Amino acid sequence: MASETGEKVGVYICYCGGNISDHVDVEKVAENVKEVPGVAVARTNMFMCSDPGQELIMEDIKNGVVNRVVVASCAPALHELTFRGAIQRAGMNPYLYDHANIREQVSWVHHGDAATDKAATLVAAAIGKAKHLKPLSPIRVDAKNHATVIGGGLAGLRAARDLSRRGTEVLLLEKSPFLGGQAAQLGKLFPTGENAGDLIKQLAKEVSDDSNITLRACAEIIKSEGYVGNFKITVKKSSPTSEEYIEKLDTFGNSKAGIGDFVPFIGLCPMEVPSQTEEFTQDTGAVVFATGFKTYIPSAGEYGYGEYPEVITLPQLIRMMARGKSGGKLEINGKRIRRAALIHCVGSRHIPGIHEPGSDGNLNEYCSRVCCSATLQAANEIREKHPETYVFEFYRDIRTYGRGHEAYYDRASQNNVIFFRFEPEDPPVIEKTDGSQYPLKIRVKDMLTFGEDIEAEVDLVVLSVGMVPNDISDLVDMMKLPVGVDRFLLEVHPKLQPVELAKTGILLAGTCQAPMDIGEACSAAQAASSKVATLLSRGYVELDPFVAEINIEKCTGTGNCADVCPVEGAIQQSETESDGEKVMHTRINPALCTGCGICVAVCPENAIDINGWTLGQYEAMVDAIAEC
Amino acid sequence: MESEREMKFDAIVVGGGIAGLQTALDMADQDFKVAIVEKDASIGGKMIRLSKVFPTLDCASCITTPKMAAAAHHENITIFTYCNLNSLEREGDVITASLTQQPRYVDPVKCIGCRQCEYGCPVYVSDEEQGGLNARKAIYIPFSNAIPQLAVLDAENCSLCGKCAKVCPTDAVDFFQQPEDFVIRADTAVLATGFRLTPADQKKQYGEGKIENVITSLQMERILAPHGPYQRVIRPSDGKEPDSVAYVQCAGSRDKSLGIPYCSRVCCMYAIKQAMLLSGSLPIADIVIYYMDIRAFGKGYEQFYQNAKAMGIEFVKAKVASITQGEEQTVALHYENQEEGGVETREHDLVVLSLGMIPDWNPAGICPVATDDDAFIKSVMPKMAPALTDMEGVFVAGVATGPKDIVDTIVEAGSAAMEASGYLVEKRADHAA
Amino acid sequence: MATQANEGKILILATETCAYPGANSVGQAHSTYPANTYILRVRAPALFPEQFYLDCFEKGISGIIIMSCGEECPYEGAYHALAKRIDRVYKMMKERSLDIRRLRLTAICTVCNRAFLKEVNQMNDLVKELDEV
Ligand SMILES: Cc1cc2nc3c(=O)[nH]c(=O)nc-3n(C[C@H](O)[C@H](O)[C@H](O)COP(=O)(O)OP(=O)(O)OC[C@H]3O[C@@H](n4cnc5c(N)ncnc54)[C@H](O)[C@@H]3O)c2cc1C
Ligand SMILES: Cc1cc2nc3c(=O)[nH]c(=O)nc-3n(C[C@H](O)[C@H](O)[C@H](O)COP(=O)(O)OP(=O)(O)OC[C@H]3O[C@@H](n4cnc5c(N)ncnc54)[C@H](O)[C@@H]3O)c2cc1C
Ligand code: SF4
Ligand code: SF4
Repeated sequence: MASETGEKVGVYICYCGGNISDHVDVEKVAENVKEVPGVAVARTNMFMCSDPGQELIMEDIKNGVVNRVVVASCAPALHELTFRGAIQRAGMNPYLYDHANIREQVSWVHHGDAATDKAATLVAAAIGKAKHLKPLSPIRVDAKNHATVIGGGLAGLRAARDLSRRGTEVLLLEKSPFLGGQAAQLGKLFPTGENAGDLIKQLAKEVSDDSNITLRACAEIIKSEGYVGNFKITVKKSSPTSEEYIEKLDTFGNSKAGIGDFVPFIGLCPMEVPSQTEEFTQDTGAVVFATGFKTYIPSAGEYGYGEYPEVITLPQLIRMMARGKSGGKLEINGKRIRRAALIHCVGSRHIPGIHEPGSDGNLNEYCSRVCCSATLQAANEIREKHPETYVFEFYRDIRTYGRGHEAYYDRASQNNVIFFRFEPEDPPVIEKTDGSQYPLKIRVKDMLTFGEDIEAEVDLVVLSVGMVPNDISDLVDMMKLPVGVDRFLLEVHPKLQPVELAKTGILLAGTCQAPMDIGEACSAAQAASSKVATLLSRGYVELDPFVAEINIEKCTGTGNCADVCPVEGAIQQSETESDGEKVMHTRINPALCTGCGICVAVCPENAIDINGWTLGQYEAMVDAIAEC
Repeated sequence: MESEREMKFDAIVVGGGIAGLQTALDMADQDFKVAIVEKDASIGGKMIRLSKVFPTLDCASCITTPKMAAAAHHENITIFTYCNLNSLEREGDVITASLTQQPRYVDPVKCIGCRQCEYGCPVYVSDEEQGGLNARKAIYIPFSNAIPQLAVLDAENCSLCGKCAKVCPTDAVDFFQQPEDFVIRADTAVLATGFRLTPADQKKQYGEGKIENVITSLQMERILAPHGPYQRVIRPSDGKEPDSVAYVQCAGSRDKSLGIPYCSRVCCMYAIKQAMLLSGSLPIADIVIYYMDIRAFGKGYEQFYQNAKAMGIEFVKAKVASITQGEEQTVALHYENQEEGGVETREHDLVVLSLGMIPDWNPAGICPVATDDDAFIKSVMPKMAPALTDMEGVFVAGVATGPKDIVDTIVEAGSAAMEASGYLVEKRADHAA
Repeated sequence: MATQANEGKILILATETCAYPGANSVGQAHSTYPANTYILRVRAPALFPEQFYLDCFEKGISGIIIMSCGEECPYEGAYHALAKRIDRVYKMMKERSLDIRRLRLTAICTVCNRAFLKEVNQMNDLVKELDEV
């Protein structure tokens, strides 16, 4: 019996070899549903998922007996795709199918008549839904196999190279005149002992030799629109105005280095600095953020910083050691350093209520992850190159977590680095000495000696400053990017989608997301490149058809839907004039819609629905349940 | 003898833990054909066996099952479970893996995962999937969210009574199933063989695994899981709800005497996580973590640690020197208190050893890939390309290349997928040229 | 059976990613619960307008449990939209003298078997009590 509107539903009920039929009278259910209007056939089988079971469905479709399918069997997660596949093979649209879960949600939890009745009700509900189904197909959006990488630090360089290796055309944008980012500020790296400059040179060379990569330094994005596969960005290239860059360019010039050369603590200059401002646009399929970090700048007076010239930061120490002549003595302001104190966690691991906000008004509650190992690496370098210099380290926890890192800690002990452990409430205090041969003294309550108050006189205090994200608030506002309380860019989910931002097609690489060491930043860059490849390598993006659709005949243009939609640009409204009257048009961009359905609930005209999960389908199911 | 079955894929991924699954998914989504080879009867690795996961505290099953299902249903992924990897070698341009399908004694095509056999089987065996804390049958589905949902007959414990075969509605039980050798050839391989816990019984001072109510961290994961062995938190020896639970950090790491000098990187965080979950189910119990350094270095981890402190979890800076059985099945910890000084002893109802990680797979004799001093697979460019091994076309992901948490594992899997697919594309371009 | 099923029908809106697999997990454990429960799979319950709930009661449904993913909801903003909507439904129920306990919003994970059983049994007891009066 076909329904008035022509739906011929085929119902297929599984015994599941007794799993269902031991508790549900399958034949009775089949008898019952035959009476439901719209049901053309109701069949049973020992195993619907088996080949003969699937054949039953396919035969009925091919013979024109049914044009909607309901299968009642185990949980849909197990065989939904199996049955969709069978339906498709028989030449019918696979979305004209609904599933009744009568094993996990009936026969395994209920017994006797109650189980049979409930199974019949659920099947009736599925039939109700099936009658409201319409054919759907996956949404295809053309995608340009081109990606833009923002930031030319190691993560950005890594991402650019990998994207290109996978056949994606790349535009790499660096704000400064130099490549290499913060790594250019480093010397010998933990834990491999490699030289940071060598890594930068190697990757930068690969990038500049790669004809698939267009590199632009002194370049920033000033405008961005669009969505995955179809972004359009506007880039401004201009001669640098920031003091920092001008100073670095001077130093670079003075060092007699040329284009393509790397100068330690400056970076690698890949191209001439533009003499005039220039703008261009680029169509791009994905955007990879590799905008990196900067080091925390201590507040004036924090551990004597800015107050005493003998208080410096770890990056300053690294520079000092690199510039010191080999075999020479370690000196500050022309004075030999006999004792140095290294203080961990400066600008990191802030605890509300204990710590005051730092120089930029923020509390950095996170651990900066690299400073422990970097500090130990520096301590070892001092002890090994300048054994006459003693090193004291003041720490809260030593976090040498990574492969090969713990060995630095062991080595520091062997090198007779002396450790003191402090509680966040009682940080070390730096004071000027009085007529001593040492300029500074450092006092601390040491938890390694049961809370004893300890004092040491030193020549140098080094602050292991943490990482803070680079200021990219312009991009964050422009592209509506989520930022965490730590002010780093925020991934969708740390495990399910660790390198993806909520907006599809925008990826994360490296320390713009969180503190990382170079290996971790490169790993993230490669993972982001992988994701871009999955999005763009086919030349189109295929998305689930379960997105919102507007019934234009019903829509009156209230715009309620656009107001509540959490996704920027998923619902667009425009006004046109028709017969002298202003009409609002509402359009869905299926590439952006996530199908959450928040809009459905607020439409006073019921003009909007999620394909495959419409309100009408739910109402039909409730009707069937209420009636049984 | 029949000629061996041979199959061809673009990539072979060894290990179906989260690292292997994510690598396979990333490659399959780029239209490469991938084979996942897993030695266990189910994919999912350690992650599917955890309770909730730091730092978000989402339920492990909820975020692992979707990845497992996605891999299982992916048209470009073929999964081989319950397989032994006999060798993995490069032969000219291809990588050849020779494998043995272990007999499940259940026909995988016929079995519908209904568990009738399990209900029918009269033999009870300690269930390693539940940390050995309760029993399973001699024929069983490995665990409720296992993929594939296929029964396995544990031949060692089967009494051959035949009850399972009688009740099976599909006639799937096959006592005569034989191991089957087969070969997979691929252009590239990713090793994602993960870890196992450092043995709980190797440290004399910690009682060599003989002290009652001293359990491993993975056992605690099971106890805390909503579908765990007890469905609540009790101690194993007598079912008492513990009033005090202690964690011994670095129980199998940072310890040269055990030959494991490195930090296992996740134990601080999982101990804090378990402590938080425990304080939820045992609101009045004392929970103490004995530690050397708390290594909460990842995104959001330090905040997680500070929250735990604020919740009242006690952190004692001390290396536990030895563990002995206390009175009434309690456990006595002997340690030097670094904050107050002096050697102290404190008794707890239940003690968890925060054991470290060692590699689950030793390639020696199977695959000529190099390992490092720590026995994990060697990464030849740990800074710029962490997934590279010393073998051409063979990459590594996850804990196989050193301890790490799930977040870092998943990111690294993406990186291995990148290397492997980049390698495939370049290789094919070379061939075409 | 622990709790006797009664006539009052209970509709369960269970999210595709959390609660629906959670209900399956109860099935895999073969735990029983009242059979007057009808589980509908939903993507995000934020889809349903206020009127949908009122209509359900009108049609004779005795109780509704929304089993969401809670804060783990995969759709940005959907859980908060839902929570707000349910507050409005409660208001409308009060205006219509419907006992607001007939509608319950809760979060169920993929292996939260006990929580699932507790919710279902509680609603069943409640519906029984309310419908008897
Ligand atoms: C003191 C210290 C010592 C360290 N020692 C080690 C070590 O020994 N070993 C190790 O592995 N790691 C070490 N690290 C960590 C290492 O520095 C980082 O992991 C690495 O530099 C991160 O690279 P990145 O590309 O993510 O970011 P960055 O290096 O910060 O690069 C970001 C780039 O993006 C550019 N950019 C920013 N905003 C924009 C914009 N809007 N548009 C265009 N471009 C933009 C920046 O100019 C920069 O070039 C250390 C860190 C510190 C602080
Ligand atoms: C007690 C405990 C709690 C934890 N809690 C958390 C947490 O809350 N959050 C978090 O982020 N991390 C946590 N972790 C860490 C987490 O378990 C790991 O990061 C993660 O499981 C690593 O995944 P993997 O795929 O690399 O390895 P595994 O999960 O070990 O997977 C490796 C797979 O390879 C298979 N295999 C091995 N050798 C072979 C072979 N030769 N042939 C075929 N297959 C093979 C294994 O059977 C296994 O399935 C915890 C770890 C422990 C021990
Ligand atoms: S890595 Fe070490 S120094 Fe840096 S913030 Fe973390 S604990 Fe402090
Ligand atoms: S072997 Fe048979 S009884 Fe056991 S789960 Fe498979 S189908 Fe069911």
